[in-house]
Formats: sequence, structure tokens, C-alpha cells
Amino acid sequence: MSATVLVVEDNPLNRKLVRDVLGHAGFRVLEAEDAEQGIALAVAERPDLILMDVQLPGIDGVEALGHLRADAATAAIPVVALTAFAMKDDRERFLSAGFHGYLEKPISVTALPGQVEALIAGREPPP
Amino acid sequence: MTAQPEPGKRLEQLERDLAEANERQTAASQVLEVIGRSAFALEPVFETVLRQAVRLCRADAGLIYVLDGDVYRLAFALGGSQEYRDYMQATPIVRGAGTLVGRVGLERRTVQILDVLADPDYEMHQARDLGGFRTIFGVPMLAGDKVVGVITLWREVVDAFDERTVALVTTFAAQGAIAIQNVQLFLELQRRERELAQSVDELSAMGEISQAVGSTLDLDEVLTTIVTRAVHLSGAEGGSILEFEPETRRFRVRTCFGTSDEMVATLRATAIGLDDTFMGRAAASGEARQAPDLEQEAADAHIDVLRGAGWRSMIAVPLLREDEIIGALIVRRTSPGAFPDRTVELLETLASQSVVAIHNARLFRQLEGKTSELEIAGRHKSEFLASMSHELRTPLNAVIGFSDVLLEQMFGEINERQQEYVRDIRDSGRHLLELINEILDLSKVEAGRMELELTALSLPDLLEHGMAMVRERATRHRIAVTLDVVPQVGIVWADELKLKQVVLNLLTNAVKFTPDGGSVEVTAAIAGDEAEVVVRDTGIGIAEAEQARIFEAFQRGGREARTSTEGTGLGLTLSKRIVELHGGRLWMASRPGAGSTFGFAIPMRRPDEAAAPGLGDDDAGSVGAGRDMDTVLVVEDDPHSAELLAVYLEGAGYRVALAHDGAEGLQMARRLRPRAIVLDILLPRVDGWNLLARLKADPATAACPVVIVSMLDERGKGFALGAAEYLVKPVGREQMLEALARCVPPGAARGTVLVIDDDPVDLKLMQAALEPEGYRVLTAAGGEEGLSLIRSERPAVVLLDLLMPDVDGFAVVERVHADPEIADVPIVVLTAKEMTLADRERLDGRISFLAQKGAFGRAELVDLIAHLAGARGAPAEELL
Repeated sequence: MSATVLVVEDNPLNRKLVRDVLGHAGFRVLEAEDAEQGIALAVAERPDLILMDVQLPGIDGVEALGHLRADAATAAIPVVALTAFAMKDDRERFLSAGFHGYLEKPISVTALPGQVEALIAGREPPP
Repeated sequence: MTAQPEPGKRLEQLERDLAEANERQTAASQVLEVIGRSAFALEPVFETVLRQAVRLCRADAGLIYVLDGDVYRLAFALGGSQEYRDYMQATPIVRGAGTLVGRVGLERRTVQILDVLADPDYEMHQARDLGGFRTIFGVPMLAGDKVVGVITLWREVVDAFDERTVALVTTFAAQGAIAIQNVQLFLELQRRERELAQSVDELSAMGEISQAVGSTLDLDEVLTTIVTRAVHLSGAEGGSILEFEPETRRFRVRTCFGTSDEMVATLRATAIGLDDTFMGRAAASGEARQAPDLEQEAADAHIDVLRGAGWRSMIAVPLLREDEIIGALIVRRTSPGAFPDRTVELLETLASQSVVAIHNARLFRQLEGKTSELEIAGRHKSEFLASMSHELRTPLNAVIGFSDVLLEQMFGEINERQQEYVRDIRDSGRHLLELINEILDLSKVEAGRMELELTALSLPDLLEHGMAMVRERATRHRIAVTLDVVPQVGIVWADELKLKQVVLNLLTNAVKFTPDGGSVEVTAAIAGDEAEVVVRDTGIGIAEAEQARIFEAFQRGGREARTSTEGTGLGLTLSKRIVELHGGRLWMASRPGAGSTFGFAIPMRRPDEAAAPGLGDDDAGSVGAGRDMDTVLVVEDDPHSAELLAVYLEGAGYRVALAHDGAEGLQMARRLRPRAIVLDILLPRVDGWNLLARLKADPATAACPVVIVSMLDERGKGFALGAAEYLVKPVGREQMLEALARCVPPGAARGTVLVIDDDPVDLKLMQAALEPEGYRVLTAAGGEEGLSLIRSERPAVVLLDLLMPDVDGFAVVERVHADPEIADVPIVVLTAKEMTLADRERLDGRISFLAQKGAFGRAELVDLIAHLAGARGAPAEELL
């Protein structure tokens, strides 16, 4: 059975990109365009991994992470920050906020499937 | 016959005269003695004078008057009733014929009034009635020709004072005058001292105030200092400083001293106008005004408050700045009276200090406002840039991502033309991304927010890394790139990523702007305390007019890049800023058509230690100074201990790298691969135990022997964690070197082995085989790099592959042989090539050993190298 990845991303093109790349690599991909939808899908579908854009309209990624962690149904699902922030301390900031991992945009379409696989397995993602 | 006194009577007379003379003499000397004893008090002198005079002159009473200003006042009285003395005490006498003292003062000579009742000019009838005198007699006390006092004697009966009496009292008067002068001098002296002390007080107060005005921007603190000092120095009890508000034409109390809280509250609640108060009028007049008695002043809002609180006098000093009223300084007393001019002057000075303080504070408030506006603007700019970067990266993610999806042909094939276009789209996207990153970096530098993460790093390695990055491209354009690093260039303290960025930028530019077939030379050398890297190209050069602008953002100095999408135009600007952040400089020189030279210099020492004396060459910054020696890493936080250890070790031929704490030690151990580590236990950040455990847990450093040098004697723990030696401080030279010799195998003490091979797997294999044996293994991926390492590192043995892309093994052997500097370095050729006779002839006599890869065991190799390293320069034949 293939692993399920939930992508929470408001930008439709970037969402589509991740969906197609991961889909091509054999993952089952769920999409949400905001945090509320994402949380609902996470509760309903229990994905193996959530890729979460940090800057989302309304509830942002960090806040959404809090909701997921607070709910027993989703608390154990690894959530990976997917951001276009480029500051050096962003990585530390997001990891200390409780994200399971951190992927910087622009993503590498060739590396992404391997990174997602590693994150699901609980390993450091390859660069 | 004239009647002669009887001889007996004459004798009697003479004896009496003698006795009298003796007595006078005694009296006079007694007076002198008293003057000497009580030099600065008049009373004892006057008392002695009067007692002697009254007794010797057989007077009924005596008085001494002393001049005080224009009048004579009673200074001492002997005899007469209390009432009489009280009256005389209360009645100062002016010069004039109406009184005895007045007459002496006027005529400046001895005066006798035989009978005051018979003297028509005499006027002191009340005194006469109270005293009951008839004959009075006065002698002046003269200082120069000024009558400073008068001694008077009187008798109740009419009986003239004789000549002898006059003479006697004149003597006393002279003595009294001296006493008076002494005392006056003394008082004058005291007064001057007091004045001086007051001036000192004033000066120190002024100093304190100036300092307060100059150093603190807390206006209330300064004004409180001023008003406190003003009150003290003018001998007053209270005061205040009021600020003028031009809008309301009123004064507002700013600060008070010696004033009850209640009154301060009342003053604050009172409208003190410019036009309707005493103080306001003073301020408007621009001059200090006194109210010596507030009871006498016309009532106004301010004065009413003062009077109500019991104040009796005040002075109001305006605070003016270029005729503009700033406020007023008020000093008040609870008693009436005017302040002397001196005090007024003082208060005026203090007032001007207050003006400066108030003005400074106003300026500061304005400046503060401006600064916070600027800060907000700066923050907005940073926020803008951060969000702009974010907003641009989001669509770029899709551009680059989908291009890659197409290029990866994930969902089907596309033709070559389409691939080319998609690649163009992706490259443009990446270019844009690079641009965004550099703009962000540059704005961080501009905002002073770029921070460097300094570590000790090998500049030669960093340059080599840069070379590797551009080599492919250079080869494509037939551009020869060379790197020449003098051996002294070693460790620099820098931010590795950022310095790499700088090197790569210079190298990329050089290659980019050099026509096909040209060359790019990179050299690194030492210049003073700096490592200097110069990149010289044979490119098109830059016109002089363009040179000045080349470091500005988005300027390419008129140069046309080979492809227009390359480079952001920000690279040089950013590089220059980065080098400057390191405390270095970046420069360029160029002539159109004759190529360009870009160079940068950065300090070799750790910036925060650049000025620290003592460590000298022991510091990691100059690790490269030694040659052909083993590096020992000293991890020690105490600079003195570190220096001592470095002296011991360098004296024995080791080169020393110094780490200042455990974290740095770990980092340097991994990077430098030292022959041994000398480790202190009590270290900041990561302690020695922790570091030791981590070194032993990491395969890259586990083999490196660790000598613990510590205050702690915990050998058991040390050895359990894997220490090779344990020394307890203090440690002597012999002890240190012997311990080190025990754990560094003798063959390897000289042993750097250089492996030159283009196959990374073979390099790793050699490293794995030799490092556990205690060799320091250097690797080079090509002949050129290998040669430069032979020159800079002088390895004990070189292991050389023959077939390599750029400069092959044969060429390396030939060039080593041709260079007398390095001709004696033993070379072991390890090759997979089938050796022809011609091949063997090319190498003959120039190498130490020839071995076929795979046919040579690890143990044999180790033995061979140990042998060669110990027999440098031995002829090859002996070994073959």
C-alpha cells in the first residue's frame, strides 16, 4: 500500500506541482488549500505525512500544527514545513516550533520524493 | 643756698622710680607675652592692657575702643558700673570733638580732659552721669597714621594723668595696635580662605553641573542638580526652575529644591504668567531681579504662594537662549534681605547652564523622534524585503518545479527544441532566484544584520574548492586556471559559506570574462597579518571610467557577459561587503584589453584576538607557518597555558593549532585531522570529557591520540574514555614531549603522505589504510594540485597514480625531478596501467617504488612507506 501525503498549500500551482510530482512517484496525495481543510482531511484520512505551507490565509501553518498536535487523532502524524522563507534562522525557527522537518521552496522535483520517503521513515531528508 | 632734697629722700625717690620702671617693664612684657600667646584673639590682650594701665596709672576705670568701619565701638571695659558699661557698649562713637574717643580719632594724638564738667565741647553727658568721671584721658592705637583704636582711662576726681602715665599707656597702645593688626590680618586671611573655599565649592558645583549637563540627557536630573547647588551656594533655603511655555505665556514648575510637596503642588496648580508676575517681568526684562522682602512686593499669583508658605525674599534669574525666554531660576529665603552681587553672578551662570541642559534635552527629544522614525522605516524595509522574497519565491517554485517535471520527462517525452526552451525557462527562474537571494543578502549587509559565523578554515582548501567549481567551465572554453598558494598560507578565520561565495564570485567572473584560450591565475600569499588572494585574468579588461562603479549594485563595468542571463550584477557588491565584514578589503585593477585583477585580503587571525599579544605564532591563524611537521591540536581555554604548550610543542618541531573551547576543538579536530590532540578538561561550552567521548565516537577522529593535560587528576576516567596519556598540571616540557612521543609513532612523527589519484575511491582507500597507522594523509585529485601540495606541504612520501586527466603521473615525476626544491621527495607509483618498457624508462631513477594496484597488500604498503619516510632521499635502487 502506498503512503499518503497531505499537501496543505494555498497557491494552486505549487499545490499542483507537489501533487503531480509525488503522484508520479507513487504516493497517494491529498490536497487542502487552507489550514481548516487540511486539519479536517488529516483527521478524516490520517495521512502518513503532512506537507504544510507555513504562510497560509487565516490560520497559518504554525497554528495549524498546534491544532494537529492537540488532537489525539493527528498528534502522531509528522508535519513538515514547506516554506519560501529564506532567512538563515527560519529553519531553526520552524523546527523549534515543532515541525518534523523543513523543506525550502523552490523544491527540487527530483529530490522531493526521496525527501518525503525519508521523512515518513523518520530519517533526515536528503538534500 | 638752694634747697636740696635730703640725700635720704633722693635715694628713696630713686628707688621708687626704679621700682616703678621695673613694674612698667614687667607690665609691658606681660602685655607682649599675652599678644604672643593669643595671637588671634583681642580680648585677652585688651584685658591685660587695661588691668596694667588702670593699676599703674591709678585710674578708676579704663575702656578700649576699636575702629569698625567709620565708628569706634567698645571692645573692652574695666571698672565702672554695669549700667555704664552697657551704655558705652551700645553707643558707638564717631570722630569729633564731642567725645574723648572721637577727639583722639580726629586729632590722632593723646588727649586729656582734665575736667569733663569744665570742657565746653564735651557732649557725652549721659556717659559721664552713669560713670561719674571727671578727668579723662585717651591714647590712640595707631597703625600707620590711622587710629584703629583708643585706650581711655578715667578718674572720679579731677586729677591729671602725668607724663609717665602718658608714656606708659602710649607703649600699651602701640602693643594694642599690633594686636589689632595681627587679628585683622588673621581675619582677613580667614575671610580669603573662606572665599577661596567658596570659590572651590562653586567651581566644583559648576564642574558637577557641567558634567551633568554634558553627560546625562535626563533633564530633571540635571535641573535638580542645578537648583540644589544654586540654593546651597547662595546660602538660601529653597529654589525652583520653571520652564516657559510660549503657547500659554505661562511658567510651569520643572523642578524644586527645599520646597514642601504641598507647595510644589500649589505652584504647579498656579498659573504663573509672563505678564502678570514679578518673576515673569524679570524673565521679560532679561535680567535677574531681587525681591529682598516679599512682604513689600505687590501681590501676584507666584508671590502669594511664596508668602503663604513663609518665604520672605527671592531672586528670579531668567533663562534665556538667544533672547528667547526658556524659563526662570528662582532662589528663595525665609528671611528678608538682598543677595550680594557675587551670588547674583553665580546664579546667572547656573541659569545659563540650565538653558544648555534644557536645550540639549529638547534636541535629544527631537533626535529620538527622528531615530525611531528611521528605525521604523528600516524595519519596514526589512519586512518588505522578506515578504517580497517570499512572494517571488512562491511563483518561482512553480516555474522551476514544472520545468524540471518536463525536463525529467515524468509525464512523457518532449522534443529537443522543447527541452531547450524549458531549460531556458528553468535557468531564467534560477537566475531570478539567485538575484532575490543576493538582494536579500545585500540588504542584510546594508542593514548591518548580516552576521558572520567565524571558524578556522583552510584557505588553500577553500580556494581549491572554488577552482573545482569553475574548472569544468574553464576547460570547456580552453581557459587555463592555475592556483599557486605559498606554504605560509594556512588557516584563516572566516565565515566559510560567505568566503566561498566571494571566491566563487571572483573566479566565475574571471572565467566568464576571459575569452576562449585565455588564462586565469589565482595566487594566495601572506601580506603582513593578512592572507591575500589575487585572481588575474586575461580577459577584456575594464575601462577606467567604469572601474569606480564596478562595485556598485547592478554594474558590470560595461563588460558583456558571455551569456546575458548570467550573473546578477550584485555579486561584486556583495563580495566587497562580505570581505569588509571580515575586516578585510577587496580591490581591482584593470586595463582594457589587458585583463583584470581582483584581489582580496582578510586578516589571518581570529578578529577578536587580532590585538591580543602573547600567543604569537602559536595561534591557529598561522598554523601554515611550519613545514613538513605534524599538527598537534591544543584545546585549551587559558591563553597562558596554551602559549606555554605551544612553545614546548613548536620547539620540538610540531605545528600547533589552538582551539579555545570544546566545541571549537571538535570542529578543528574534524577538519585538521591533527596527529595528536592535547586536551584540557575544564573548558567552556563543551568540556574535555564530553569532547574526548565525541572524538572517540567519531570514526574520523577516533584514531587520533589524545593527551589530557588537566588540573584534575582523574586518570581512571580519562583512560576509560580513551585518552592515550594523562598529565596533571603543571606540566613541564620534557613531560609533555615524552607523553606525546609515546602516543605518536616515531615513523609517523615526520609522516605526511600525499596521495595523487583521480579516482576518489582509491583516495579513500589509501586514506583508510594509512591514517590508522598515524600518517597524515593529504589527497589530490590531479597532477597540478598534487604538485602544488608537494611544494606547500613537503610530504614524507608521495603515492602517485599515472593516468590522470590534466597533468598525468609521468609529468608529475618529471616536474618533481626537475625542481631541486622538491626533487628529494620519495615517490611511490601505484598504477593499474600495464607498464611498457618505454614507460619504465621514463620513470627510471626518478621514483622510489613502482607497484601495480591491487597486487600490493596493505601491510606491504605500510611497511614501504614507513621505510621511505624514515629514509628520505635514499636512492630508488636500494629499495627496489
